[in-house]
Amino acid sequence: MDAMMDKKEILNSGLLERYLLDEVSEMERLQVEKYLQDAEIRQHFQQLEISFEKMALENAIPPPAHLKNSLLGTLGERMETPSSPENKRTNLKPYLAIAATLAFLFGVTSFWLYTQLNGIEDQLDLVRSQNEVLTEDLENLVENYDAVNNEYDITSNPSAQKLIMVGNNNSPDAIAISYVNHTDKTVYLNAEGLPDLPDDHDYQLWADVEGEMIDMGVITKGERFLAMNYIDQAESLNITIEPAGGSDHPTVERLITNVYLQ
Amino acid sequence: MQTDFLLIQQLREKNPKALSSLYDKYAGALYGVILRICKEESLAQDVLQETFLKIWNNAASYDSDKGRFYTWAYRIARNTALNETRTPSKLIQTEDLSVYKEKEAAEEVTIDAIKLNGSIRKLEKHHQKALELVYFNGLTHREAHEEMGVPLGTFKSYIQQALRKLRELYGVEMILVIGVLIEWML
Repeated sequence: MDAMMDKKEILNSGLLERYLLDEVSEMERLQVEKYLQDAEIRQHFQQLEISFEKMALENAIPPPAHLKNSLLGTLGERMETPSSPENKRTNLKPYLAIAATLAFLFGVTSFWLYTQLNGIEDQLDLVRSQNEVLTEDLENLVENYDAVNNEYDITSNPSAQKLIMVGNNNSPDAIAISYVNHTDKTVYLNAEGLPDLPDDHDYQLWADVEGEMIDMGVITKGERFLAMNYIDQAESLNITIEPAGGSDHPTVERLITNVYLQ
Repeated sequence: MQTDFLLIQQLREKNPKALSSLYDKYAGALYGVILRICKEESLAQDVLQETFLKIWNNAASYDSDKGRFYTWAYRIARNTALNETRTPSKLIQTEDLSVYKEKEAAEEVTIDAIKLNGSIRKLEKHHQKALELVYFNGLTHREAHEEMGVPLGTFKSYIQQALRKLRELYGVEMILVIGVLIEWML
């Protein structure tokens, strides 16, 4: 502040009054703006401003009313786009129409999608149940295949001796095929060709070892291909009809077929 | 005297409602100054209109740190009015001077209409005159002291004494404190 005038000098110089009236040179203006950073000078200037303002308000002369409208009208023309609320309201209409259309389309599409979804759900249920059936079928097939494969392995084994047992007079239509494997010590029987028996009777397979008939197992009803007991040194295989569940000793009178082993 | 802080903020954002509010508040005071400078109603109306357009267009250049809104608006009004009355363009354009003068005389406002009112009337006559010349008639200090026929230094002291007296009459200190409080609360 050293280059500045003394505060009192500034306040008394009339510079602030002239600044307020915009009656200062550019240099004086910059000077005053610098002085105004001082709180006391600033306060003094604010007092001047308020006094002037109050005086002006007391001496106000109302301008003609039409002037304000024409002023605001001029603004409207100059601004054009920012526009009045009325314009905004009318501008909104197309947007509302678009919004309504979009909402309607959305509703229709939603309904369509909903019905589609229901249809698809029904189809899915159908496919699911079909799938279950197919899976079951497949399981059966696999089981079947395993059985067939197993049977094939057994029957096609070169070590297996295939013996065809043809029915005698007791059962002329009967035919059974046995597979005897001395290497593996196994015996399998294809009982497919044996005529059905009443419930109280079963077929039973026997081995003849040195004149004695030894049990090789009851042929379970309904089984097509069965594993039987392998008996060492069997000379022949024999099938008899026995009471249901089989017997300890064969009923020789009811022998239906026999075959000798080589 | 409430703060115009919010209104000016909105004015800068080109909100016509803000200009409308500021117009309602200050147009009368500014028109009082303009009419006393122009002394002709239709010209004064044009100047008022132009003043508010300048306020609208230059709102961004108003700096509240450098003074009150009214002071800024007053300067615009005063300068616009002085430009209009002091440029001889109208006289040059009007070929028939007598017609122009007749027309102007017809529109010239009556002394009664521009008579000063309020606290200024309570001041001594020469103080009233000094304020009227610079504030309401737009004379520079130099022009005014010649008009009054007193030395420039004396004229300056008239203005200062007049303002001091006005300040007392208005209780300006109180207003300032309230103004500061309001601004602080905002």
